[in-house]
Amino acid sequence: MREWWSKISRALHFRRGLDDDLSDEMHAHLELITDENIARGMTPDDARAAARRHFGNLTHARENAREAWQFPRFETILRDIRYGLRGIRKSTGFSLVVILTLGLGIGANTAIFSVVYSVLLRPLPYPHGERLVRLGESTAQASGIAVTWINFQHWRADNTAFEDMAAIMGADLSLTGRGDAVVVDARLVTNSAFRLTRMTPMLGRLFTDADDKPGAAPVAILTPEFWQRRLGGDPSVIGQSLELDGTSYEIIGVLNPGRKFLWRSAEVYLPLGRAQNPAQKRSEHGSIRGLGLLKPGKTATEAKANLDAIMQRLALSDAGPEDDHRSYVGYLAEDVTGGELRTTLLTLMGAVGLVLLIACANVASLLLVRSTARTREIAVRVAIGAARPRLARQLLTENLVLAAIAGALGLLLAAWCLRTLILIGPHNIPRLTDATLDLPVLLFATAISILVGLLAGLAPVLNAGKVDLITALKEGSPTAGTGKRGQGFRNVLVIAEVAITLVLAFASGLLTRSLITAENVNPGFDPHYLLTIELQLPGSRYKSDDSVRHYYGQLSQSLRSEPGVQDVGLVTAPPGAGDRGDYWYSILEKPTPLRDDVPLALFNFADANYFRVARIRVIAGRVFTEGDRAGTTPVTVINENLARRAFAEPQLALGKHLKVGGPYVDGPALEIVGVVANTSQESLDAEKAPMFYYAFWQNPHRFMVVMARTQGDPAQWMNAARRRVSEVDRNIPILSLQTAEDWLGVTLDGRRFATLLLGLFGGLAIVLASVGIYGVLNYWVSARQREIAIRLAIGAPRSSILRWAGLHAARLAALGVVLGLIGARIAARWLQSLVFGVNAHSLVMMLIAGAAVIAIAAIAASLPVWRAMHTDPVRNLHEA
Amino acid sequence: MSTVDNQPEALEFLQGTLEVLILRSLQAASNHAYGISQFLEHQSRYEFAVDNGSLYPALQRLLQRRWIAAHWKKTPNGRRAKYYRLTPLGRRQLLAEKSKWMRFVEAMSRVLAPQR
Repeated sequence: MREWWSKISRALHFRRGLDDDLSDEMHAHLELITDENIARGMTPDDARAAARRHFGNLTHARENAREAWQFPRFETILRDIRYGLRGIRKSTGFSLVVILTLGLGIGANTAIFSVVYSVLLRPLPYPHGERLVRLGESTAQASGIAVTWINFQHWRADNTAFEDMAAIMGADLSLTGRGDAVVVDARLVTNSAFRLTRMTPMLGRLFTDADDKPGAAPVAILTPEFWQRRLGGDPSVIGQSLELDGTSYEIIGVLNPGRKFLWRSAEVYLPLGRAQNPAQKRSEHGSIRGLGLLKPGKTATEAKANLDAIMQRLALSDAGPEDDHRSYVGYLAEDVTGGELRTTLLTLMGAVGLVLLIACANVASLLLVRSTARTREIAVRVAIGAARPRLARQLLTENLVLAAIAGALGLLLAAWCLRTLILIGPHNIPRLTDATLDLPVLLFATAISILVGLLAGLAPVLNAGKVDLITALKEGSPTAGTGKRGQGFRNVLVIAEVAITLVLAFASGLLTRSLITAENVNPGFDPHYLLTIELQLPGSRYKSDDSVRHYYGQLSQSLRSEPGVQDVGLVTAPPGAGDRGDYWYSILEKPTPLRDDVPLALFNFADANYFRVARIRVIAGRVFTEGDRAGTTPVTVINENLARRAFAEPQLALGKHLKVGGPYVDGPALEIVGVVANTSQESLDAEKAPMFYYAFWQNPHRFMVVMARTQGDPAQWMNAARRRVSEVDRNIPILSLQTAEDWLGVTLDGRRFATLLLGLFGGLAIVLASVGIYGVLNYWVSARQREIAIRLAIGAPRSSILRWAGLHAARLAALGVVLGLIGARIAARWLQSLVFGVNAHSLVMMLIAGAAVIAIAAIAASLPVWRAMHTDPVRNLHEA
Repeated sequence: MSTVDNQPEALEFLQGTLEVLILRSLQAASNHAYGISQFLEHQSRYEFAVDNGSLYPALQRLLQRRWIAAHWKKTPNGRRAKYYRLTPLGRRQLLAEKSKWMRFVEAMSRVLAPQR
C-alpha cells in the first residue's frame, strides 16, 4: 500500500526530478571510481574508461532503477504501443498488407461465427429455454408426429414430469370484410402457450380457461405487427370483430412487441380448445404440436417415459387403431438446429478458420522477413543495453497493435458481410436474421485478433531472442544475417498453406459438383412456362365437396380462356412444395405386412389435366380422366417408386388395389389405374419418395395449386391470374403466385448458399496461399542471390539454377500435397452428409484438387525461380 | 561485466538477499551506492559481485518502503555523493530479516552438510 502511494505521488510530482537525481547519483558513482583509479596511478582518461567498464551498463541500471518507481506493465505497454504505431506509420506498405490480410480473415470469421452463434449457440429467448421441449407422438417408423387433442389432454392432466404444457396448431385463414381477402397466418394455442413463452398483452387481455373450451365465444389476440399493418395500430381495436374463414372473432388483446413465438411469427392467436370436438377419437390426428416445460431436474428421457406410461394405460382403457403409439420428447434447443444445417454451418466455420490460418501463415512469414531485416536494429538495441525479454515484449506488442487494427477492420468487414449473408441466406434457416455483432461475437472477434497477433508474431519474437550480436553487427551488408535462420520455419509455412488450400479446394469442389448435379436432376416434369396459383378455400364458405369442385372447375375454365394460356391443371403439392402429407398404405393383393412394417408414402391430389400440363411421363396404364367422378370406382395413380417397391414391374400394379392407411387403420381402397414418373417433391437434392395421387374430382380438396402452362414467360400472366381469381370469388386470397421453377429453385437455396460461401473461402485461400508461396520463395531467392551469382560466375549453367530452385519449390509443394490429401480424406468423412450425387471420398475430386493446388504453387513459384535463373552475376557481385 | 576472466564465478544474489545485505551495510554508518557495493564485495571476500543493474533498483525499493532514506553529502575527498542511511523502520526490519536469514543459513547447512 505504502509502495503504491509513494509510486503515485512520485509519478505525479517527482518523475522528472527522480530521473535527474538518478543520473546525478550514477555520475557521482562513476567519479568516485575514477578518483580511486587515478589514486592507483592511472591517467585520467584511462581511469574514466576503466570506471565505465567497472560500473557496467549504465542505461540498463538506470532503466531498472526507474522501473521500481513505475507501474511498469502499463507504462511500458503504452510506450510499446506508441513505438508500434510509429513502426506501422514508417512502413506503410508492409503494415497495410498485414492489416488487410488479417482483417479479411478476422472479418470473415467473425461474420460466420455470428451466424453460427445466432443459429446454433444462442440460448432460446425464453425463460428456462433449456427446459423447453417439443412434444409429439411417435410410432415405430416416425417420431415427432402430431399429437391428437385427446391424448394431449391426458398428458396434460396425468403427467408428473412437466411444470406446464401447451398445444399449438398452425392454420392459414382468410381474412375477409376488410378490403381484399388476405391469408392470415393464425396459430391456435392453449392459453398456457403464452405462459411458456412469456408473452404478455399490450392492450386487452390473454385467453382465460373459459375462452379455451368448446362452445365458448370466438375470441382472437393479435400480434403487434399484424395490428399495425392491417388495423393501422388502432388503439380502440379491443372489442371489434375480425372475420376469419367466415367466423367472426372478437379481438380481446394485442400482444407486446419483441417476443417471437418459436421462430416463425404468427399474426393472430386463437384459442385451440374452442375449436376441438370433445367427442374426438384418440386416433384423430390434426396437426397439433406440443410444447412442454420440464420440471427442474427432469430430463427429456424421464419425461418421455412418463408420457409413454400414460399412452400404455390409455391403450388398455381406450383401445383404438393407434395403441402402439408412444410419445416424443425432444429439447427445443436441439430440435431446430440439428442435422444438416448444423453440419453445414460447422463446415463453413471450419473452412473460414482454415482461411484465417493461411492468412496467419502469410503474415508470420512477412513478419519474419521484416524481423530479419531488423536484425541490425535489434542487435544495436541489445548492445546499448536493451534486455532481451523486454525486446521480445516490445516486438509482441507491435504485432498485437497490428492485430488490433486488423481486428477493427475485420469488424467493419464482418458487419458488411453479415448484412449480405442475411440478405442472400436462405429464409428457412431459423434465427439467421437475428444474427448481429453482439457481445459474444465481439468477444470472439477480440479473442481471435489476439490469437492471430500472437500466432503470427511468435516466430519473429522467438527469433529476436537469438540475435547473434557479433555476427549481426560485424557483417557490413544490409542483408547481414539473412542466412538460413527462419528458413526452416518459412518452409513449414509453405507446406501448411499448400495442404490447407488443397483441403479447401477439395471441399468446395465437392460441394460445387453436388450443386451442379442437383441442379441438373431431372425433376420428373417440365418446369418451364408453368405458372402456379396457390389457393385455399375457406371451409366456412365452401362447405360441401360440390362447392369446392364447382369453384376449381370454374377457375380452371376461366384461366383456360385467357389468351396465351394453353392448359390448366390442379394439384395439391406441386414438385418442390415439400412434404404436404404422408400416410400408411398397403396393397390388398399382397400379403398383409406386420404392424411395424406398414410402409409410408406421400399423398397428393390431382385432376385429370395435371399430368398433361406438367408433362409428367405416364409409365403404365392411364392417368385420371373426366370419367373418374364422384360415384365411380375410386381410383389412384401411383408414382414409379411406389410401384417398384410393391411390384416387380410397374405394369403389374395396374388393377391392383392400394389400401390407404394400411391394414390396421381405416381408409379407402383405391384401384391403381396408372403409374407415372417420379417427381422431386421434397427438393431436387433429395430422394424421390413414393407417392400416390387421389383423383381430385372424386376427393375434392380445398387447398389446391392451379397450374397453367403459358406460351412464354409465365410472369406475364400473373396479373391476368390475379384478375381471374378475383372474378370468380373476390373473397379467396392467393397464398402464392409464382412459377414452377421458383418452387423447385428454393429447394436448393440452402445448398447454393453453402456452396457459394465455401467456394468463396476456397478462392480466398487460393489467393492468399499463392501470395504466401510467392513471398516465401522470393525471399529464399533473395537470400541466395549472392550464392547464385557466384555459382554462375564460376560457370554453372543456368539450367542447374533452375533445377536447384525448382526442386526446392517442388519438394515443399509435394510435402504439402501429401499432407493435404490426408486432410482431404478426413474432411471427406465430415462432408459425407452434405454431398449429393458424388462420392465424398471421390479419388477424382481429390486428384483434381491436388492438381489445381500444384498448378497454383507452380505459378506462384515460377516468378521467383525465373528471377533466380536470370540473376546477373556481374551486377550482383559488383554491388556487393 | 567482470574484466578478469579466470576468476571463479561470482555468486549471484538470491531473491531478497541483496536488500537485507544493503540494510546491513548501512547499520554502522550511512554510505553511498559505490561504498555499499565495495562494502559487500569486501565483506564477502569477493564472493559477491554487486551488479549496479540490481543495486540501484534495490535501493529504490528500500526507499519506497521507507527502510532507508537518502541525502546528498560531501565525501571525505570533497566529491558530492548521495548517501543512504537506515530509518528506524529499516533498523527494525534489519533485525527481523537478520534472524530469519540466520535461521535459513543454519537450516541449509544442516541439510547440506550434516554434522553428526
